[in-house]
Amino acid sequence: MPDYGQIPVGTGTLDARLVLGLGALLFILGTIGVLIRRNPLVILICIELMLNAVNLTLITFAAQLRNLEGQLFALMTMTVAAAEAVVGLAILVDIFRVRDVDDVDELSELKG
Amino acid sequence: MIVPQLVFWVMAVIAVLGGVGVIASRQPIRSVLSLVAVMLALSVIFLELSAQFVFAVQVIVYAGAVMVLFLFVVALLGPLRERATGRLRFQWWLGILVALVFGGFLYSMLNGLRFRAPANVDLSFFGTVQQIAAGLFTTYLYPFELTSLLLLVAAVGAIYLSRGGRTASEIQREEEDRRA
Repeated sequence: MPDYGQIPVGTGTLDARLVLGLGALLFILGTIGVLIRRNPLVILICIELMLNAVNLTLITFAAQLRNLEGQLFALMTMTVAAAEAVVGLAILVDIFRVRDVDDVDELSELKG
Repeated sequence: MIVPQLVFWVMAVIAVLGGVGVIASRQPIRSVLSLVAVMLALSVIFLELSAQFVFAVQVIVYAGAVMVLFLFVVALLGPLRERATGRLRFQWWLGILVALVFGGFLYSMLNGLRFRAPANVDLSFFGTVQQIAAGLFTTYLYPFELTSLLLLVAAVGAIYLSRGGRTASEIQREEEDRRA
């Protein structure tokens, strides 16, 4: 049985497992960032990092299966990420106008 | 030839170093610039995986527009210093633990991964603008049109949220007036 994981790239091939591993590593880095950072702006940046890792995985599978739907899905993810960044940053600017926040744990008014 | 793998490894190292820079730098501006490095490195890998259109969109929309938006917000909010020690120090260890468990799951899944046979398609025409457009405007027309609605809602929402409201000093003055 041939190894379907080898994606032909130009004159050589690229192992899909390597690229998927890179995507997993970047996603985990983003997860760590969301969990341990306190600045709300940096947390948004880490979410963007996670979305990019997911995009890499989608495009890797699209190239491995020769199925374009992965790339279309990646484009949709980019749109959603842009919308998320716009709304998230607007909320952030709105919060910062009222008070200075250097720790997201300070924003606990909804806790009651 | 070894060239594609060499390009991949260089870009992977840049991406991982950038990812570490995103979560490790003290100042948000460095996080943003590290993320730009990650995105540019990933865009090269997209190009290797014959996703030409997504490569262009990644550079223009992501590394260009979205990250400039982040830079503007960093410039608007000024240099934010993050406290070195938070109140909830156990979150740090919890974060590492979650990352280890999650990484272990992903690693074991990658190890046991079996790839399905690819479709018999010529990769040299794969991911071109024509093919992307054919997909977006036939099979995925409704999701594509809904995307425009999503962007409209996001734009209106952002304008609504960031319209001129009361500032902190104004709120304080009002409270003082009420007390007086």
